[in-house]
Amino acid sequence: MMASPLLNQLMAALRCLPGVGPKSAQRMALHLLERDREGAGKLIEALRIALDRIGHCRLCRDLSETEICTLCTHPNRDPALLCVIETPADVLAVEQSTSFQGRYFVLMGHLSPLDGIGPAELGLEILETRLDEGEIREIILATNPTVEGEATAYYIAELARERGIRATRIAHGVPLGGELGYVDGGTLAHAFAGRREV
Amino acid sequence: MRILLQPAFILHRRPYRDSSLLLEVFTREHGRLGLVARGAVSPRSRLKGLLQSFTPLLLSWTGDGDLATLSGGEEAGLPVPLLHNRALAGLYINELLVRLLPRRDAQPGLFTAYEVLLADLAIVADEEPPLRRFEKRLLEELGYGLSLDREVASGMPIAAEAHYRYVLDQGPLMVDQTQTGVPISGRSLLALRDGMLNDPAVLKEVKRLTRAALAEQLQGRALKTRELYRIKREG
Repeated sequence: MMASPLLNQLMAALRCLPGVGPKSAQRMALHLLERDREGAGKLIEALRIALDRIGHCRLCRDLSETEICTLCTHPNRDPALLCVIETPADVLAVEQSTSFQGRYFVLMGHLSPLDGIGPAELGLEILETRLDEGEIREIILATNPTVEGEATAYYIAELARERGIRATRIAHGVPLGGELGYVDGGTLAHAFAGRREV
Repeated sequence: MRILLQPAFILHRRPYRDSSLLLEVFTREHGRLGLVARGAVSPRSRLKGLLQSFTPLLLSWTGDGDLATLSGGEEAGLPVPLLHNRALAGLYINELLVRLLPRRDAQPGLFTAYEVLLADLAIVADEEPPLRRFEKRLLEELGYGLSLDREVASGMPIAAEAHYRYVLDQGPLMVDQTQTGVPISGRSLLALRDGMLNDPAVLKEVKRLTRAALAEQLQGRALKTRELYRIKREG
């Protein structure tokens, strides 16, 4: 099909979204133009405002509209507990499903030397400054259980140890409702290594 | 070309598209190669927990271009438990392999050396000796092996108590023969030759030598993993 140049341009632009291939981009573009021009207007406005106003929190690096995000300023959050996590999506996951009441530090990735991501790219200087301030008593390392995530956790644990701050790592193991026979060997080994008294 | 269940280790993985991974793998019979693992990080993927560095794997793939497609994988053993600074050491070696090994060039001997290295890293108290032994082996496989037997000008065997300067594209020379090169004792040269690297003074000299030799291969590009070490040691 020979679409108009503007339509082609719109479809190409939509493909920057995750999971959107040529076919879905075409559906989205036609839907917005044919059936929901008002929705398209709202989308433009929401995108514009979000791009304009959302930056990173100065304390935790999470996405935020204010210089310091609401989680960092919330009076009921325990300032002595700091959870170090890889991405804003991980923060949402922890917020939605755990009773964690401390604060966060978002790395926006993990150490990955071959991709050129070192301590500076993860904002570890900001983290060190926060650790130096002396308010934090425990740092919970909630990076992903991958080789890079572990290396990152270790590196940060060292920073904490140098300052006499307790560093803990989240547990890894068999998923709830899972069956041992279907769990991969690495996870099972971790689950056994990290077993605990009942 | 279709390859079935080839012994392999993952050197590096990076996210690709929505739920796929780009893998850099080191295999026994096909050397280093790039693989696309489609859908490998989707919630239902069986390979999700499997495709990690330091886990002995059996990988199957199709395609013989620069980037082949992963078609299946199984674990060939338990992940080598590299904790803490051992993981950094492992990442360092992986970075070396990604930077220095040519693609699709089979090096079964080096593959075995890599397996030995990982096993050593998991148990030894000091990670430096196994790293140096592997670096020496890597240089040999790249065709730039260090000459550790004889002084190059005279052809005389290396004497433990003598002092040398190792000039990279030549070999060890007596100290008075040259102004350049890495200063190193005969004892350290012999220790590296025999892989007996327990003495801290020897280790220090040997490290300087292998580092200089690898730097030449890396052609001035800095290793990112070394940055992690440097900052850690300073801190």
